[in-house]
Amino acid sequence: MGIIKDRYAIVGVGESERSRKSGTTPLHLALDAAKAAIKDAGLKATDIDGFMNYNEGDSCTSHQLATYLGVRPKYVKDIQGGGASTEMLIADAVALIEAGQLNTVLIYRSMNGSSGTRVGRGYDPDMLQGALAGGSFVIPYGSASPSQWFGMYATRHMHETGITKEHLGHVCLSFYEHAQRNPKAFLHGKPLTMENYLATPDISSPFNIHDSCLELDEGNAIIVTSAEKAQDCTSKPVYIMGMSARQCHPHAHYWNDIDQVASDYVAEELYENAGVTPDDIDVASIYDCFSWVVMRQLEAYGFAKRGEVGDFVAEGNLKMGGKLPTNTAGGMLSEGYTHGMNNAIEIVRQLRHDYEGTDRQVEDCKIGICTGWAGPDIAGAMILRN
Amino acid sequence: MTQATTAYQKPIPLKDLDNAPYWDAADQHQLALQKCDDCQAYSQPPGPTCAKCGSANVRFEQLGDDITATVYSYVVSYRPFLPGFQDELPTIIALGQLDQVPEVKIMGNILKCEEKDLQIGMPIRMTWVDITEDRALPQWIPATN
Ligand SMILES: [Zn+2]
Repeated sequence: MGIIKDRYAIVGVGESERSRKSGTTPLHLALDAAKAAIKDAGLKATDIDGFMNYNEGDSCTSHQLATYLGVRPKYVKDIQGGGASTEMLIADAVALIEAGQLNTVLIYRSMNGSSGTRVGRGYDPDMLQGALAGGSFVIPYGSASPSQWFGMYATRHMHETGITKEHLGHVCLSFYEHAQRNPKAFLHGKPLTMENYLATPDISSPFNIHDSCLELDEGNAIIVTSAEKAQDCTSKPVYIMGMSARQCHPHAHYWNDIDQVASDYVAEELYENAGVTPDDIDVASIYDCFSWVVMRQLEAYGFAKRGEVGDFVAEGNLKMGGKLPTNTAGGMLSEGYTHGMNNAIEIVRQLRHDYEGTDRQVEDCKIGICTGWAGPDIAGAMILRN
Repeated sequence: MTQATTAYQKPIPLKDLDNAPYWDAADQHQLALQKCDDCQAYSQPPGPTCAKCGSANVRFEQLGDDITATVYSYVVSYRPFLPGFQDELPTIIALGQLDQVPEVKIMGNILKCEEKDLQIGMPIRMTWVDITEDRALPQWIPATN
């Protein structure tokens, strides 16, 4: 995708209210998010000719959203997916615009992730055995939660690299600290200390509740268009320098090969397409379904060497003023959770300098990275600039 | 070998077209692994073809019932995520790296193991728990037991 460098932009972002109990439907949340993003871009709903969403059977369709925005779009697309789907759909949107099929695409993720369908819960065990790759070799042993699947990777990786529970705590503390500056973060007003973190019992080792992302009701939306059309928007465009939309782990099965992750493969292609190196990145959104997932990606994307990631986070480098301010709205650990889209929205706002003059702005930031992680098996990422 | 004493509430491995030889062997308290005749790679879990090269020349190799391994990684679960686990918390879930075939790691619970004794690299041995009249589940126990 090197040829698309700087030729496409994110021109609008928006979100609904976030809560534990929305009292409404994912369609209403999607409408709120879409209207906010359209307003942010200074567009009319009818300027959008493509609508896309990812879901886990827990949302409304793109067609429904378009209908109730009063739009008769050319194109709608709904995919099954979680983490890394934001990046994948942005790449799809760029490709369709490049092919002359569409002009401007709205991508959303809307879910009652707390009051409705909760990720990884309430499924029939026999259904899971069939639905998961190799499920019959996993489910009978009680392993049905992402915390257990990723925990297996984490235990081994921590053993090999010297990452400790306290290092994981530094990831959590950094993001919780950001949430205290963000009044819209779900855990705003609920700061975390290392003492409290270490005293919190694990749910599934090595993770306690603070290591795990929130479960919330929320809708998010992002609008993508060409650099040319971006000039008609009232927002400051954030240009896509490079993407690696989706790459896979070399083995389809999680539970045998736990030494590699798909992010290892994304990184190389991503930097090559964007024409930058990790040193050029000023601000980051790193997919944070679990604290350790951030650690493993910092290694994969070259922000710290294997074996040095623990020190990197302990030195405060993920915080404001650090080498790589990360998840500056609080991330999925403490702001909100929409399978990564809220982190993508934040990186756009940082690069537009929306927080100028406040303690939330990463000063003079020009280039940012946003990573997605569907699991060790699938990842995607993009590098953006202002 | 341990006999289940009460009605089994946990999920029972579902046999399908591709994995049935593994579970049929397990029911006989044996380990069988799928191996590719073309590239010699093992596929665990088994599939329709070799997961490494795509070849359909795959067959099951019988490894018997004397299976030893070391703990490659593990998690300790303090909450049940599936039915039947609520009475046996915490649950240790581990990947055992086979001594005979180090490229293969097999998931199981480690039974008869104190959490404080659990560590990466510890020797474990495969055991088979009779979970119903005709089904058995491969599990791990510390090799010293
Ligand atoms: Zn083969």
